Amino acid sequence: MLRIVNFAHGAMFMLGAFVAYYGLAALHLPFYAALLVAPIVVGAFGLLIEVLFLRRLYGLDPLYGLLFTFALVLILEDAVRLAFGALGSPYPPVLGLDFTVNLFAAPFPAYRLFVIAFAIVVCLAAWYVLERTPVGARIRAATEAPVIVRALGIDTQRLVSITFAVGIALAGLAGVLAAPNQNVEPAMGDRIIINTFAIVVIGGLGSIGGSVLTGFALGLLQTLGAVWFPAFNDTIIFMLMIVVLLIRPSGLFGNPASAK
Amino acid sequence: MTTALLGTRRGAIVAAVLLLVALVLPKLVYPVLAIDIVAYALFAVAFDLLLGFTGLLSFGHAMFWGGAAYVSTILIAKLQVAFPLAVLAAVAYAAVLALIVGAIAIRRQGIYFAMITLAIAQLQYFFAYQLGQWTGGENGVQLIRGRGTLFGLPLEDDVAFYYAALGLAVLGTYVVVRVVRSPFGAVLGAMRENEQRAIALGFRVDRYKLAAFIFSGTLAGVAGVLFAIGNRQSGLDGVDWHTSGQVVMMSILGGIGTIFGPIVGAGLFTSLEHFIPSTALGDKTNIVMGTIFALCVLLFRRGIIGELLAIRPKPKS
Amino acid sequence: MRYFRSLPAALAIALLSSSFTAPPARAADSGPIKIAVITDMSGVYAALAGPGAVEATKMAVEDFGGKVLGRPVEVVGIDHRNNPNEASVKAREAYDSGADLALDMTNSAVALAVAGVALQKHKLAIVTGGASSALTGASCNRYTYHYAYDTYALAASTGANIAAQSNGKTWYAIVPNYAFGQQMLTDFTAAIERKGGKMMGSDLYPFPGTTDFSSLVLKAKNSGAQVLGLFNAGADTVNSMKQVKQFGVDKNMKIAVGLLFLSDVDALPDVFAGSRITTSWYWNEDAAARKWADKYAKRMHGLRPTDIQAADYSATTQWLNAVKAVGTTEADKVQGYLDNRQFNDFYAKGGEWRGRDHRVIHEMYVVDVLPKEQVKEPHAWFKIVQTIPPGRAFRPESQSTCKKDW
Repeated sequence: MLRIVNFAHGAMFMLGAFVAYYGLAALHLPFYAALLVAPIVVGAFGLLIEVLFLRRLYGLDPLYGLLFTFALVLILEDAVRLAFGALGSPYPPVLGLDFTVNLFAAPFPAYRLFVIAFAIVVCLAAWYVLERTPVGARIRAATEAPVIVRALGIDTQRLVSITFAVGIALAGLAGVLAAPNQNVEPAMGDRIIINTFAIVVIGGLGSIGGSVLTGFALGLLQTLGAVWFPAFNDTIIFMLMIVVLLIRPSGLFGNPASAK
Repeated sequence: MTTALLGTRRGAIVAAVLLLVALVLPKLVYPVLAIDIVAYALFAVAFDLLLGFTGLLSFGHAMFWGGAAYVSTILIAKLQVAFPLAVLAAVAYAAVLALIVGAIAIRRQGIYFAMITLAIAQLQYFFAYQLGQWTGGENGVQLIRGRGTLFGLPLEDDVAFYYAALGLAVLGTYVVVRVVRSPFGAVLGAMRENEQRAIALGFRVDRYKLAAFIFSGTLAGVAGVLFAIGNRQSGLDGVDWHTSGQVVMMSILGGIGTIFGPIVGAGLFTSLEHFIPSTALGDKTNIVMGTIFALCVLLFRRGIIGELLAIRPKPKS
Repeated sequence: MRYFRSLPAALAIALLSSSFTAPPARAADSGPIKIAVITDMSGVYAALAGPGAVEATKMAVEDFGGKVLGRPVEVVGIDHRNNPNEASVKAREAYDSGADLALDMTNSAVALAVAGVALQKHKLAIVTGGASSALTGASCNRYTYHYAYDTYALAASTGANIAAQSNGKTWYAIVPNYAFGQQMLTDFTAAIERKGGKMMGSDLYPFPGTTDFSSLVLKAKNSGAQVLGLFNAGADTVNSMKQVKQFGVDKNMKIAVGLLFLSDVDALPDVFAGSRITTSWYWNEDAAARKWADKYAKRMHGLRPTDIQAADYSATTQWLNAVKAVGTTEADKVQGYLDNRQFNDFYAKGGEWRGRDHRVIHEMYVVDVLPKEQVKEPHAWFKIVQTIPPGRAFRPESQSTCKKDW
């Protein structure tokens, strides 16, 4: 939405998981509290980055924003590795959700059901705010026609900063949700960032609904694909990305006007 | 992003200094490191042709570098093909790949173009992993047998190979300079400044872009071959998106659009990556590199050579 | 542009002609003897080998007396950063500046790269930390020895141990789809079949890039097999184990982890508790091991050594012994002395430097990873359930694919 290609998004995801880990290990912060605390911490950090650094790069070729976030990944991952080690930090299963439910005659971890429900709620909330509230309308307007919006007296810079920070906070939230499932390690963001780009491109730049739907669909595709056609699982997402970029560059659900 | 450096006295001085350093490099640093620097320098120059002069950011350029590296080493190591033939085949691979990728990617601009190059590069990466029989997967391809000869000159000695590689790199750079300063290059520059106007003037911009892309990709392939044979191995690193990111960093560090900038950037970047791990900052290498790069992007966007360029002599009153 | 060619060209000719002379030959028989420990100092293998490996090597040199043949012995630690290119450049540099032995090379890709360099430079390389059995197979060479473990040994030990029991006959495997995983699958399948077991099914998942193993774990559970084999490494092992426990699969199936080290359990004890693995050495296996581990702990702030770090100590001592015996560090002579030599030390019981393929064989140990409640002192994670003699643990010579050219 902000036309920022943020390579560091995966690193923010990783930071969210580490905030959860550190919170638990050093401050006995339980998982449920981390769901609130980590996004705030990571979002605030994102805001700091935006205000101090990214702001200077807005008027320029988007190349520079991309490169800066690329450098940021190097710094963040190495810093976390120095602080916590490269092997991974233990994050235990969540109390109260550490059992399985029998769904369709298969055991289904309750935690995963929780994640699904939680994710749906958050995505719906994000979509609602952006598409159905005045604030959301202003944000969308600010990205599509910033000059006019500013002429109307609205502080577009503040909207941009807040939107960016919220986006980062959501990445951090995803990290917390991932911590009980996955190894909490500095490289965990690296693995998902390329896929994230693909999802956003396929779903449509500028369309939250598109990203959400594509994210779910691709997640499903990858999990099923692991069983049905493992050899091509990795490549499917990129082939789709290429096809979409050629046929409908603004993405499946994107706004053609936002295609450069 | 300007060609202001070329054809001037200042440009010639920079070129002479670089050439001088290049000639004595094996005496200053470990010869194989010198080979690496030369290879990366050519890679960065090829990349800059596309970014600095044509205005196209490719985020998958490692596919040419690493792909050609694989082809040349696999032919030599597994199929016992002679050195010159293997090199030619690898360069041909890069050229054909550039033709295909270019034809697809050129249809879009800006960030979409970059995304397509990234996506295709990732496809090649995964294929490299899957074709483990040939590529050795994680372990890569080792050139145990030796490098072969070039017109009878044995290339086993690292220093000898360095000079051969240097010759090739100088040639490649020279060709790029000539292209940039030709009418073709002028059209590229026009397209970069204002594509609509170039189209209005009747130029088939797509064809020019494709030509530039093919040229850039092929040259990147040559660089990749020099690197792989110089190091006697090829591997997944060559086709990894981090390598694509590195060449972007080298170019920015040195100064895009200046030809010599990327050369300096490549030299600096490669040396830093080699020497920092053995210093006290060793385990913080990535932080150091990332910080240097971030500062460059924030404050010294013109890069080293670019900043040098900006030191204009006082105008005569 | 005119300047471009004339002046530098003249210089070029002058310098080129002078640079084609060979570098001065380094005096090979005086000056310190150097051991280059090429390891991962700060990445995923740093705890397994890393600074601890360098320290262990130094300990070996000190215990040997600090010098051999009247020359002092220096230990240099080199960070390969898990990059085979960088590793090979640094190995070349190390050999060219006087190193007589390259040691450790934890990371198979790095090990293979350095093995190639060793062959070209005619200097010895002893791989302790790499897993690939190609080092003693298709990529074997005169100057490289594979010291600690390999994929075959892991399979032959863990696989054979579990499949020998009545509740360990049927297996299901989750395998990363690359050379390491595929090799593990092949080796494990062969090992369990030798004991009358059967690999009921296996899933090769895309590598790298898979973090979710839910569908695979469920498939494994539904297969009805008695044993689940996880033939992956690193973060994949952690992720799949976490998810195995999440789905409660470890309650009905025995979990065999292909590759795991003490340092991994130190980092994530709860994740690995209850799994069965193979190691080449355990610090608490007997009095001699413990004695050495105590010395190590004193220098490493209470940390216990992994089998790779112990292997580095052992290999260094054996190499120094060989150098002393032949009176030179010349690789050809040392290699000739080592080939087919048998030895015993706190690390290698029934050790032999196999001349056929440069596989160093010794006892291997199948161990269970204990849950926290059963651990009696810090880092005492393992319980040895079986000792595998060297003859059975490693690939028999008759089956070696090494084309021996020495």
